[in-house]
Amino acid sequence: MFVQLILSGVAQGSIYALVALGMTALFRATTIVNFGHGEFFMGGAFVLYVMINVVGLPFLPGALLAIVVMFLVGMTIERVLIRPMGLAPHIALAMMTVAFSFLFRGIARAFWGREVLPMPAVFSFPPIDVAGVIITTQDLLITGMTLFFVVLFFIFFQRTNLGRIAQAASANPRGASLVGINVNLFHGTMWGVAAGLGAIAGILVAPITLLYPDMGALILIKAFAAMTLGGFGNLGGAVVGGLLIGILEQLSGGYLSTALIDIFAYLVIIAVLLIRPAGLFGIRESQRV
Amino acid sequence: MSLLQVENVSVQFFGLKALSDVTFDVEPGQVRAVIGPNGAGKSTLFNVITGYVRPNEGKVVYDGQSVVGLPRHVVAGRGMRRTFQNGGVFSELTVLENVLTGLNAVTASSTLGIVLRLPGAGAAERRAVDEAMSLLETMGLAGLANNVVGDLSSGQQRLVEITRAMAARARLLLLDEPAVGLSSSERDRLMNVLRDLAKDGVAVLLVEHVIDLVMAVSDRIVVLNYGEVIAEGTPEEIRSHEAVLEAYLGHG
Amino acid sequence: MSDLQATLPAGPVRRPASAKRWLVRLAIAVLLLLPPVFSNDYVQYVVNLIVVYALVAVGFNVVLGYLGQLAFANAAFFGIGAYTCGISMVHLGLPFWAALVPTGIVSLAAGALVGLPALRLKGYYLAIVTLVLGELMRWSYIHGDVLTAGSSGLGIPPATAAGFTFGTEDEKYYLFLLVAAVMIWATNNIIRSRIGRSWVAIRENELATAALGMSPAVGKVTAFAWSGFVVGIAGALFAILIGRIAPESFNLHQLLLHFAIVMIGGLGSILGSILGAIVLTAAPEVLRNFPGMEEIVFSLLLIGVLLFMPRGLQGVLVGWFPRLRERLYRE
Repeated sequence: MFVQLILSGVAQGSIYALVALGMTALFRATTIVNFGHGEFFMGGAFVLYVMINVVGLPFLPGALLAIVVMFLVGMTIERVLIRPMGLAPHIALAMMTVAFSFLFRGIARAFWGREVLPMPAVFSFPPIDVAGVIITTQDLLITGMTLFFVVLFFIFFQRTNLGRIAQAASANPRGASLVGINVNLFHGTMWGVAAGLGAIAGILVAPITLLYPDMGALILIKAFAAMTLGGFGNLGGAVVGGLLIGILEQLSGGYLSTALIDIFAYLVIIAVLLIRPAGLFGIRESQRV
Repeated sequence: MSLLQVENVSVQFFGLKALSDVTFDVEPGQVRAVIGPNGAGKSTLFNVITGYVRPNEGKVVYDGQSVVGLPRHVVAGRGMRRTFQNGGVFSELTVLENVLTGLNAVTASSTLGIVLRLPGAGAAERRAVDEAMSLLETMGLAGLANNVVGDLSSGQQRLVEITRAMAARARLLLLDEPAVGLSSSERDRLMNVLRDLAKDGVAVLLVEHVIDLVMAVSDRIVVLNYGEVIAEGTPEEIRSHEAVLEAYLGHG
Repeated sequence: MSDLQATLPAGPVRRPASAKRWLVRLAIAVLLLLPPVFSNDYVQYVVNLIVVYALVAVGFNVVLGYLGQLAFANAAFFGIGAYTCGISMVHLGLPFWAALVPTGIVSLAAGALVGLPALRLKGYYLAIVTLVLGELMRWSYIHGDVLTAGSSGLGIPPATAAGFTFGTEDEKYYLFLLVAAVMIWATNNIIRSRIGRSWVAIRENELATAALGMSPAVGKVTAFAWSGFVVGIAGALFAILIGRIAPESFNLHQLLLHFAIVMIGGLGSILGSILGAIVLTAAPEVLRNFPGMEEIVFSLLLIGVLLFMPRGLQGVLVGWFPRLRERLYRE
């Protein structure tokens, strides 16, 4: 049972990791914590649903198109809602992200009402049985795709110009314009990337989960838990934190009580922030006068 | 006896010496200025005295007691008040509301009295308003009482901050570059206020770049350079001090 | 500067003469007593809901607007108040007025308790912890079914006092109006005192606040405690109003509604909170047949406020009638 729980924990944690990675990248680049990130996740799943069930596309082109759509949505948010706020205080920017998350949920609800939508099964490979441990294809796919995108992301961050700028900008938040980069374009791209990563997570879980307009709220808190555990603002920490949360959730659910799965992430957040706010891999912020 | 004694204070930031072995004192009724080139450690000194930075070595004794490590508001509550170099006004509040916050610590209205609007608490609150208004009168700011501070000129904001700092009968007033942004008439008013405060027995510690103001109001001056005291004395002594002329005034 | 001085009154704003002021107050009081005369049961229910949400928003505004802390514990306070009141009535058999005592104590304590992490955690961290707290509370309502009756919801008996039962919406209205008026009056008293000024000072500049002899820690804990208290009492009214409280009543959607009311009404304004409650409680009733429209309309209003009118509806009103500007002192 232990191995089984670990495996499903890794698959679950991969999703948290992807969402947390997008939020962290955005936070590093813009110093904004996006309370609307769960809606990128929801948006990815819903756009995919539309692509397949309304437009009639097969899964793969539908998924790619959904990612592109969400990337553009992210850029649009930056252009229309965030950029006009300029150097508004953080609290106001956070409020704006709450506002647009509300908008997205409303739009989803306007089309789907309070229904819960199942996605038609996309893949129907039988589960693989390895020495008594059953691995579902979907878990394998989720873990594999996450690994692929995380590696892709880190290569992007280390090797490309944009990635290097993102790192420079995070060392000196909002001051990146001083070194002569196009801050607006950069921020817009990072919003797009963040939305894209959130959408990928939503697309990966869409075939095995039910779709409903509020599905982003839960994933947001899980992603916060991942970020907090890994050290807020630490990219690698977000990924490791996400995987850890996923695994620990499954273990606590399997060995202690299933009711605990629901609140495990909450307890992690509270415990970490009260005991060691810097998380596992974070650096303590020094106070400035 | 002196009200404030700074004894052998040293501060290091990441191995860099910001202050080394600084010693001086301030007596009641005395205006004491700290001058020195940029980066000489003046602001750090201020932050050490008011508890915003902890010294690596040395003592800060205020009113006979060491204040190192005490919470800032406790020290402030004993009458040590400061202003901030970058402006510490509450810019969304009116001038009157700002000065009232300065009086908060001495406004003796009970919590229950406030919640239920009992007469005793109301009277204490009204006394605070009266006192704030008379302070604003002496600073020539009464006409602006209901203006939002953020809408005022930077000089006026400075004066509001100073009024707020001295409001609760400050015994030691630390002013961090109070003359920045002041017009010449405002500067004169500031000088008069500082002299009056000293006459009433308030100790004033001043960090300032405007040399003629320092020379005009200070009783004694400390000169810092690279975190060390290079001279100490009356304005006349400082004016003719060779090391000072070289380190500071000569290049000023 | 001399021009400016000439046009402005010196000192605190002179209010209209005392007699006129009392007339205005009397008129407002009469207007507040009137709604049951003209409303039907449904309209009166909505009006009652407005009273509850006005109180909620005033309480939330203490932390969000006056203290300036991004804390999302409001749905938690609301639920704690509702459940404490409900449990006291159902399991302890207390009448409503007596149940307000444990409700007040528990929600005050809950507020103070949430204030403690606010001493260490700033900005986003506080927002996240308090957001989580609300969800944790909701989980405990579901799983504490011995007391809370779990997901199916806890039935609340009607409020009684001295043999009189507040059974109809009209009767509930007068009860709610009394409780809400007292709470808002007390909050206004605090805002216009050294305590309210210390909250705003912390919002504006915490370092400078300490330098003026005020303890930021004490200020934060008292603000959270008072906020919890007010919102908790509002929760008790809510329990009486809807007659059955379920965990789902205190979810993220509830929190977002509170948040929108405070923001759209105006941060740091009691009048704004009341205005916000009127607009945003009435709107969902109009939009109830169009799924999703409530969220869309609220979010567009929120976005509009954030981009174009940072002081919300109250700010617009003050622009027209400067006399409505709320002060932090009494003349």
